[in-house]
Amino acid sequence: MIPLLLVLALAPPPPQSADSAVAAGTARPVIDIAVERRLAASLGLQVGDTVRIGSAPDSLSTVARVAAVYEPPADPATVLRRDYRVRLHLPDLAALLGTPDRVDRLGLVLQPGVAADSVVRRLNAAAFGYRAYGSREIASGSSQTFRVISRFHRAIAVISVAASAIFLLCIMLLKVEERRLDAAVLRFIGIRRRTIFLALLLEAVIVAVVGSMAGALFAFVASAATNAYYQHFFETRLIFSMVTPGIVRFGVGLSLLLGIGAGALAAARLVRTRPLVLWGRG
Amino acid sequence: MTLIAGRDLKKTYHLAEQEVAALRGVTLTIAPGEYVAIAGPSGCGKSTLLQLLGGIDTPTSGSVELDGTRIDTLGDRALTELRLRKIGFVFQRFHLLPVLSASENVELPMAEAGMPARVRRARAQELLEYVGLGARARHRATQLSGGEMQRVAIARALANRPSLILADEPTGELDAATGAEILALFRRLNAEGTTLVVVTHDDRLAAEAGRVVRMLDGRIVA
Amino acid sequence: MDLRWSFRNLRRHPLRTVLSIAGIAVASAMLCDMIMLSGGLETSFARLMLLRGYQIRVTPQGTLPLDSEATMPGITMLARAIAADPDVVAVAPVVATSLYGSPTPHSALLTLFGYGIDPANQGLYQLESGADLLPGDSLGVLLGAPAARLMGAAVGDTIALVSQLDPQVAGAAAERRLVVRGMVRWLYDHEGQPSVGTIVPVMQALGGIRQADRASVLMVKARDGADVPAVVARLRGAHPGVEVSGVDDLVRHFRERMVYFRQLALILGTLSLGIATLLIGTLLAITVNERLPEIATLRALGVSRRSVIRDVLIEGAALTMAGGVIGVVLGLGTARVLDRILTSFPGLPAAFSFFVPRPGALAAGLAATLTAGVLAGLYPAWLAARAPIAATLRAEAT
Repeated sequence: MIPLLLVLALAPPPPQSADSAVAAGTARPVIDIAVERRLAASLGLQVGDTVRIGSAPDSLSTVARVAAVYEPPADPATVLRRDYRVRLHLPDLAALLGTPDRVDRLGLVLQPGVAADSVVRRLNAAAFGYRAYGSREIASGSSQTFRVISRFHRAIAVISVAASAIFLLCIMLLKVEERRLDAAVLRFIGIRRRTIFLALLLEAVIVAVVGSMAGALFAFVASAATNAYYQHFFETRLIFSMVTPGIVRFGVGLSLLLGIGAGALAAARLVRTRPLVLWGRG
Repeated sequence: MTLIAGRDLKKTYHLAEQEVAALRGVTLTIAPGEYVAIAGPSGCGKSTLLQLLGGIDTPTSGSVELDGTRIDTLGDRALTELRLRKIGFVFQRFHLLPVLSASENVELPMAEAGMPARVRRARAQELLEYVGLGARARHRATQLSGGEMQRVAIARALANRPSLILADEPTGELDAATGAEILALFRRLNAEGTTLVVVTHDDRLAAEAGRVVRMLDGRIVA
Repeated sequence: MDLRWSFRNLRRHPLRTVLSIAGIAVASAMLCDMIMLSGGLETSFARLMLLRGYQIRVTPQGTLPLDSEATMPGITMLARAIAADPDVVAVAPVVATSLYGSPTPHSALLTLFGYGIDPANQGLYQLESGADLLPGDSLGVLLGAPAARLMGAAVGDTIALVSQLDPQVAGAAAERRLVVRGMVRWLYDHEGQPSVGTIVPVMQALGGIRQADRASVLMVKARDGADVPAVVARLRGAHPGVEVSGVDDLVRHFRERMVYFRQLALILGTLSLGIATLLIGTLLAITVNERLPEIATLRALGVSRRSVIRDVLIEGAALTMAGGVIGVVLGLGTARVLDRILTSFPGLPAAFSFFVPRPGALAAGLAATLTAGVLAGLYPAWLAARAPIAATLRAEAT
């Protein structure tokens, strides 16, 4: 059962021992709860401490003993909300909320070899007041948020690639044009266009390769820094950034393509220009 | 009376691991209205001497005076002002700004001196006509021939009515006929009272001058 | 010196100039987008909260409006007590619950989202067609367009709303047949959310015991000119069992939830500025290097260092300005695309925007780009001005 809202407050131990009060039938039994690590840290709770718990601020009628402090699984869907969570035994929570025999969802484990889709279909055919979903469908639905973020990141990446392409072309053009006079003199003394082009292209290749390697290294460093920062910020072990071999291959490949392409374009433009024009006299 | 004087000028350049003594103690005085040619073989220090006289460079030792004022100890701002108003330069390779027209190149020093636009445009036209290029005022520098470019450069050097024109190999990039045109122009300038100091290889140009100073190995030999 | 030199130099290498402007434009566009994102989130959220003029929200303690299924008890007395505050002019209770609809008696049940509202004091919808609910109208219902489409209903039609389903008997403990009075636009709904609205008692009845005299949120309107933070503080003091939040408080909570986008905006915005600076600096350094003989000539002619520096900076500024202005236009376009992506977040109110153009902020961004461009030109300009005249001319002669 997913709790709607519970209010929790630190409580001193009850005046008479809770167990004897229970035995006397004069008080509600003390229930066991498990408290999330972050909540325990923020309230200074330890195993064995007692708290009062209820569904409204003015009705903290139930005394609970912290039976465990647990680390919840890293869930990207909830990390931004930073809610605090506690776990109760289902009957205890139902009693607390005054909703016996009621749950938000049931999880089903099927016999080995049974297809989930067919079970879902059979259940939904007879369903009233509930609906059955396969786990994959749930996962797909609940990951919609991350798909949106992925699309957003992809859009940013497209803009960045476009910007990088323009910058590369501009810088390569500048660097190659800087060699204008050298190129003119080489042409004057009989060096072929092809030789000059290949020499400039080789320079572009070296710059592109070194730049791509540096970029990949920077990506690893930035990714590690991103994870370190957000894991600390959200107090979680979730991985926020991952540089996979595929990403490296894509990044390096694209930057090589853009860098060498830009260098080739600029070099071709240079060698096509008449030497006298390069010299400034044409 | 002396317009410009260099006294015991020495200039040493430090190139990589060696020192080159471009000037080894040169003394030269020039009177107003003189036309002086400085001649000598390549590397004798002619251009270096010209640059020291013009305040473009500073001597390693020695002094330079213009109109009685020492200029070798002036700061950059003062030297710049001097070059703007009192000295005109003509270079071997013209050094016009290719993106500007002939008129705009001539206007440059006047604009820097704060002359109003209408006044400087009129003066630029006047100067271009003086050098025979009145009809080419709106042409870009790159559209002019070598001789025309040098004449524009001369007009530019005259823009702020300097008392002294320093020319470094002004006919070095020109053919004989065009060079002769420049010579004629210099003759005319000097006849009208402009003091000229010209560094040259060209014997004809040297012959035009009222005085020829010959240099060899960083010294004046004649 | 003549400024024509600066501008003509930009036309000397048209491809170079165009590429530089394009590069700056893209960087500037990214910067604009990040500016729109960083402040836009909060601006849009605050605007959303104040759409109907309700500056304060009262919710179950520890919750934000409609953030959970929690409700507040004793809502009648609570609303009366809050309305008694001299600065409060309206209190609008909202009961939010999920329920089911049935277009016809035997058709399959459709999942709907229900709002219980007080038509006399409501801050949740705008009437688009038909008539609004009247206070006490226990037979009427308002539909949003998605609900109307789902139910195949129009103004005047009768629909059935059911809740408290019991799968064991395949029946519902609560059912109401209601007449559609009007079509509304629910201001805080996400795209396609099928919402219906009835008066509060009807929705509470549909919610059964769990909803009796309870509400999910109270929207509170303070009078014009009231010190809203003071009203919030007063209400907090008077009602410690509930959460009282002014729009500023809600914006603060929202800012914490959206921290990722704010940080992303800061990082990408800074990177964009850095890249624009790098591009201008590199371009000017190379072009100054190419034109050193010209610059030396100008210095020899008497042009001051200051003029040289100024003209190089003007070139950089001209490039940056051209790129920056194009970048703003480009940024507005890309912001629309990015906004369309982000506003498809599930559960996000349809009226919400991530990228909000604020003229002042965009102008500040343009100014930042221009400043970066000028600063980028400082070093090349300084190099140009410091170049030794004689040595440069000598080098050019060899």
